Formats: sequence, C-alpha cells, structure tokens
Amino acid sequence: MTRVVPVPSHLDHLSLDQLAAGIGPWPPPERLLVDAHATEWSSPAGFAALLTLGQALVESGAPAPELTLPVPDVASYWAKAGVLRHAEQLFQVHGMVPRRRVDETSDILLPLTIIRNAADVMEVVGRITEQATQILKHELELESSVVVGFGQSLSEACQNIVEHAGTAGWVAVHVYVYRKRLSGRKVAVIAVSDAGIGFRRSLEATQAKRFGDRWSDAQAIETALIHGISRFRDPGRGQGLSGIKRYLARWEGKISIRSGTARVAIVPAWDDEPPRMEGLAWFPGSQVTIVIPGKEPKA
Amino acid sequence: MSGIIRLDIVLREAVATPYRDLVTRPTGAAVRHRVITVLRAMQDDNAELDFSEVGLMDFSCADEVVAKLLVETVGLRIPRLMLRGVRDHHAEAIENALVRYDLIIVAVLAESPGPRLLGSAPEDWRAAFQALTHFGRAAAPPVADALAWPVPRTVDALEGLARHRCLVAHPDATFELGAVA
Repeated sequence: MTRVVPVPSHLDHLSLDQLAAGIGPWPPPERLLVDAHATEWSSPAGFAALLTLGQALVESGAPAPELTLPVPDVASYWAKAGVLRHAEQLFQVHGMVPRRRVDETSDILLPLTIIRNAADVMEVVGRITEQATQILKHELELESSVVVGFGQSLSEACQNIVEHAGTAGWVAVHVYVYRKRLSGRKVAVIAVSDAGIGFRRSLEATQAKRFGDRWSDAQAIETALIHGISRFRDPGRGQGLSGIKRYLARWEGKISIRSGTARVAIVPAWDDEPPRMEGLAWFPGSQVTIVIPGKEPKA
Repeated sequence: MSGIIRLDIVLREAVATPYRDLVTRPTGAAVRHRVITVLRAMQDDNAELDFSEVGLMDFSCADEVVAKLLVETVGLRIPRLMLRGVRDHHAEAIENALVRYDLIIVAVLAESPGPRLLGSAPEDWRAAFQALTHFGRAAAPPVADALAWPVPRTVDALEGLARHRCLVAHPDATFELGAVA
C-alpha cells in the first residue's frame, strides 16, 4: 500500500501544515508518495522541510519514500536550489531530474546544504560571508552591521541542529521579493530544518516539571525562544536564539519556529502570522525560518 | 610586559578552516584551550587577545572564547587581560556573553582609540575607569577630585576594577591602566 502526501502548490513555512496533515500516523506503516506534481513554487523553508521529511522517513525505518517531481520548469528551479541532489539520496524520485547546476550567485545565496557538525556550520557561514555579502549589501541595501548580524544569526540557527537535534539538518538562504506584505521590498530568508528530537523532547528533562500539564510543543518553543532557556544548565547557553531575537528586533525581522504540533513566531508589524499556533498536524523535528527585510525603496 | 595573542592565528592552529570567522561552540572551546595554554606560559605578564584579523564572531563563540576564558583563568597570575582590535559586532556579542556571568573586560575597539569596559560593570566602575584614562596611573584622590566623589567611593570602584584585572593596583596605592590608556 502507498499513501499519497500532496505537496501544496505554494509550499512555505505556513503551508507546511498541509503537507504535514497528509502524512498520517508516524512512523507510517505504508510507503509514502510525496506528490509535488502540482507544486508551482516553494520557499527555502518548504525545500528544507521536504528533505527533512525524507530524512525522517529513512531514519525511522519506514518504507523508502517516493517523490513525484513538479513540471520541468519548476523542477529545474529545484535543481538550481540544490534540492534534487539531496532528494535523490532520500527519495525514489519520479519524473525527469533536470541536470542543472546548483546556482549560488543569484537569488539563491545558499543552496540546500546539509548540516551535520560544527565544521559544516563554519563552512556555511564562511561561504555566506565571502560570497553573499555583496548581494545583501547591494540588492537589499543592507548596511555592513546588518550583514554581520545576518551571518551571526545563520550560524546560531545552524548550531541548534548540531547542539540539540541529535541528527543532521538542512539550511538554505534565498533572497526574494515580498510583494504583498512589504510592498515589493526584498527580503533575505534563512530556512533551517532538522529531523531531530524537536524542542519539546530537547527541553523535557529540565523544563517539563515546571509546567506540569501545560508542557507542550508550543510551551517548549516559547521556553527557548521567548525566555532564552536551553537544556544545558551552563549560564552561557541559550545565547543563540537570544542573539537572533535582538538582531531581528533591531531590523524588523521575523522568526518563526515550528516543532512537533506547534508554531511560535515573533512577528514584526509588517506581517500577520499568528504568534502561537497549537494543534497543528505533527511534523518531524524542528523548522526555523528567519526573514530579514531589505531597505525600504526610495519613494 | 604584555603578550599579544592573535586569535586569527590561534583559530587556524585550532581548526582546519580557510575562514577567519569565530563561529560555533566547539571552535570557540578549541580556541579557548589554546589561549589558556599560552596564558599559563606567560605568568605575571599582561595579556592582550587581538581580534584585528578575526572576521565574524557569533554569540556562542563569544561565550566560549571570552566569557569562559575569564572564568577559567581566575587562578592564573595575569595582572591584566584585555582585548584589542575589537569591532562593534564583536563587542556586542562579548558584552552579552559577559553579562550572563557578571564579568567585565577592557577592550580597545578597532574604530576608537580609547579603552572601554565590556560586560556588567556598575556605573561607578565605568565612571572611575573613564576618569583614570585621563591619568594613566594615579592614586584615588585625584580621580575622586575629577569625578567630584568622596575618596572611599572612588577606591571601591578602582579596587573592584583591579579585582577584575581591568587595571593594576600598585603597592603604592596607585592604579594603572597601562598601555591601553
């Protein structure tokens, strides 16, 4: 038996909920066919989540998943974004796989990249600071200090995988235009996703007792994101998310974290994402999306 | 005497990387361990950690390289430990890391010649430190005069800074910032 999991036509960190709803019980007793044939567009968060789903299925011992690719034009972009080279390792891929080179010079500042250890984080941050700085400065008109904070935030978001997930994860950085929400301003988006234990399990041993019956995925995310608490008792821990928060507060950025069945976001004035969502369909691991708006265009 | 420890060189020795960025906790811990080895060999000398050629530093690395270094070198006979070549984003990350431990350190920023305190220094300490920069080396009374404070209040502040190795308290009851002033 095969269960078909439809991928939304526009896959981003919010419509990921629809993808999750199609998964069914976990681990799935039957083979999953992740069907992206009607998918027209995906954000880096969507790409990272797709790979996370494939990785989680492989690591859970579920039957090897399948992936139906979108139409060739869209699949070509998936190849450019570095998705397909990894998807082929995780899924049995159906459809023509375009042999297009991964592109790191345009709107894709960092193609889908696996994060397994600290060396991978160093490599990602080094590449971004060397190659993408000019794009961030010129296309988004970000000042040097904003670009530096971007690199710091990227580093800390990736380190969360190494420190807390217990398995590998994925990161991608894209630049695109927010036509509706920011009237055509460009934004840089960092998407980090892992198939690990999630916020709730990571913090359970040290925090669950404090909250009793109120302990949940949403509470765990808030404990880490809003209160800066880590599972480590070391006073120096928990600085990563705190530092990202300070940076985003200064530059009107946004962070949204989904883990398990909840999503918690710190939402700037320009966006209307609900700050706390519970009871969502379960999805493996944790997904962090960070959005930094470029400078407002001159009138 | 003051020994300068170039962190970009320590980074290259500690981690095989073509980049100049101080990022990730394991990297920070590896750099810190090497710095501590160097500090152990230079007992009774002042030490300066040089950030001039360091690229980006993340928040976790600031904790590992600077805050935990201060915690782990309390017993070493290093009269003064300071930072130089620090850029604004380094300073911000270091400041936030030090506040969590209630620690302070003197830093000379790349863009400004004067030394400043990073971390959780009480206002009196910051004011006394600033006043002492005009003297270089002085007893408490002239610093107290400059601040229009009573001498005991000034002594408290200067001695607090000396306890945190931000300046040197000499046996003749003078306090000195040294080469950073």
